[in-house]
Amino acid sequence: MGTEGLAHVVRLCGINKVYENGVTTHVLHDIDLEIAAGEFVTVQGASGSGKSTLLNIIGLLDTASCGELWVAAREVRGLSEDERALTRRDFLGFIFQSHYLLPEFTVLENALMPLRIRGGGAEARRRERVIGLLEEVGLGDRLGFRPRELSGGQQQRVAIVRALANEPVLVLADEPTGNLDQKTGRLVFELMLRLKEVSGTAFLMVSHDERLARETDRVVQLVDGRIADDREQASLRGN
Amino acid sequence: MFFDHFAWSIALRGLQYNKGQTLLSVGVVAISVTLIIFLGSLIGGLQARIIDNVTGAIAHIDVTPAEREILALWQFEQPGVLYGGQREAIQPRQATIEDWSVWVDRLELSHPQILAVSPTVEGQGFVSRGARREAVRLVGMIPRRHNAIVDVESDLVSGRFFDLDSAEIAMGRPLAEELGVGQGDRVRLVSATGNIADFTVAGVFETGYQGVDSVTIFLPLRDAQSLFGVGSAVTNIGLKLERIFEADRVATSLEGQVPYELTSWMADNERMLSALRAQSQSSTLILVFTTIAAGFAIASILIMLVVSKLREVGILKAMGATRRQITTIFALEGTLMASLGALAGTVLGVGLSLLVAQVRAGDDRQVFPIEVTVEVVITAIVVAVTVGFVASLYPARRAAKVDPIEVIRGN
Repeated sequence: MGTEGLAHVVRLCGINKVYENGVTTHVLHDIDLEIAAGEFVTVQGASGSGKSTLLNIIGLLDTASCGELWVAAREVRGLSEDERALTRRDFLGFIFQSHYLLPEFTVLENALMPLRIRGGGAEARRRERVIGLLEEVGLGDRLGFRPRELSGGQQQRVAIVRALANEPVLVLADEPTGNLDQKTGRLVFELMLRLKEVSGTAFLMVSHDERLARETDRVVQLVDGRIADDREQASLRGN
Repeated sequence: MFFDHFAWSIALRGLQYNKGQTLLSVGVVAISVTLIIFLGSLIGGLQARIIDNVTGAIAHIDVTPAEREILALWQFEQPGVLYGGQREAIQPRQATIEDWSVWVDRLELSHPQILAVSPTVEGQGFVSRGARREAVRLVGMIPRRHNAIVDVESDLVSGRFFDLDSAEIAMGRPLAEELGVGQGDRVRLVSATGNIADFTVAGVFETGYQGVDSVTIFLPLRDAQSLFGVGSAVTNIGLKLERIFEADRVATSLEGQVPYELTSWMADNERMLSALRAQSQSSTLILVFTTIAAGFAIASILIMLVVSKLREVGILKAMGATRRQITTIFALEGTLMASLGALAGTVLGVGLSLLVAQVRAGDDRQVFPIEVTVEVVITAIVVAVTVGFVASLYPARRAAKVDPIEVIRGN
């Protein structure tokens, strides 16, 4: 993917988000943010502070009302819906609170899905790597299982591998441990940290969990749609 | 992009996974296709039987001498010229085709649709045996030529037809029974012009066409020429065509080239044809509504499917699936379900038609004249698959419009 050459995988400059449906709601105010390659950033904030909106805008699922956004050194303003879909496909990975695995496909097929969407032989080329990732997260013996045959933690682990299948520059994780019990959530989080190290992919995670946030490279605090605090936790950074 | 591996795998797996919905859609299409094939074959067979009853034993185009109006001199109105003349009765003579042998050869080569040409001398007359007397149609012809118009040779009950000698005739079994004659018996023929001659019954046939079997007597051309006093001329030249519904067109195209009147069977049976056309239209209407119903069924089943899959669709879009890929998934599902239904319906429809075609009445006659044609089957399949595809477009578009955020927010 050539992430080494990129100083920043994502850069936001003066991003605002205003919803106008009868009432004008200003959700995000002048957000400036850069995420470096391989960085693990946590976004924290109270409910309604704009965390998910920020994540959706960076993930090209939502559009900013104004401001500039670069994803993988590419200005995304003015891209069509399909162009944004292709940018997501090629550069981004997603982990949601629910796993959203497709019930009719096996564990391996679900993990390979982003590559299947891409087509052009990507699935065949990266199959071994994806199997390696599934083994890494302890699902090497579950490749042929259906999602419903797995526990909640196992399902979320498949979702994490799926997010990494297309070797994205950034994985966006919205409360990835929100639906799991504390112990399982902890295991899943540790897995994300490990995979970050293995793959060199940057992570942007929204989480309420203070203890998990403390273990990431950087914590961005949102208050009423503004960045109130952005601190690097240098002591924990590997580099 | 119908060759998207991703779209195919999602569509195929979806069909396997949602067996109930798949079976429902396939069933609806199968029933429609069965209905289309069965009804199409039945109506087609019925119409073919009706048309064969009408056209099976007659020339598809009849060439007859143009009727000339006989005008006396004083009927010409030419101002300034006065003719003195004597009023004289002009005997209308039966119009004939003198140069028929030339035209038989020419007509044979004149149009690719023309399969056979048969010159005949035809007229009304009587046949009598002792005290029994029946009004008949006398047809003087060349047996080997005329057999192409109505196949008497293969429907012979006894005797012969192809090698009728002079003073020999062939007649249908009902007529022979009415007269109480059989092969080898002698009968007397009286033509409408008043000539009388005795003949030997050389052949008895039963073609199944009532107009032929009960009222027609075939005799050699030369005998008929002398019986009707037409010399060496003929009264008709019959044309048999490869495709009977081309008759009007062929007749029109020959009109300028032949100095005689050409009448197609279609012009003579206009009323029956319009009745058949009305029947075809009403059956088409039934089929159209069946198809529309099947289309709506597929569409509503697919809409249910799309609604139940909104989450998956949203996630696929979040992962970078384009609108086109999502549209393809559901268009494929609709088309595949319709194709499976068409396949099952074809087997059922053809099977049912062949089964019903086996039903026989007491006299071993086929009760339902079913004709399963390749056209009907192909039409049913093409219509079903097209309807499946078209019906899937709305649900497919609906799916393509899904906003991933809505799904992720849990709406």
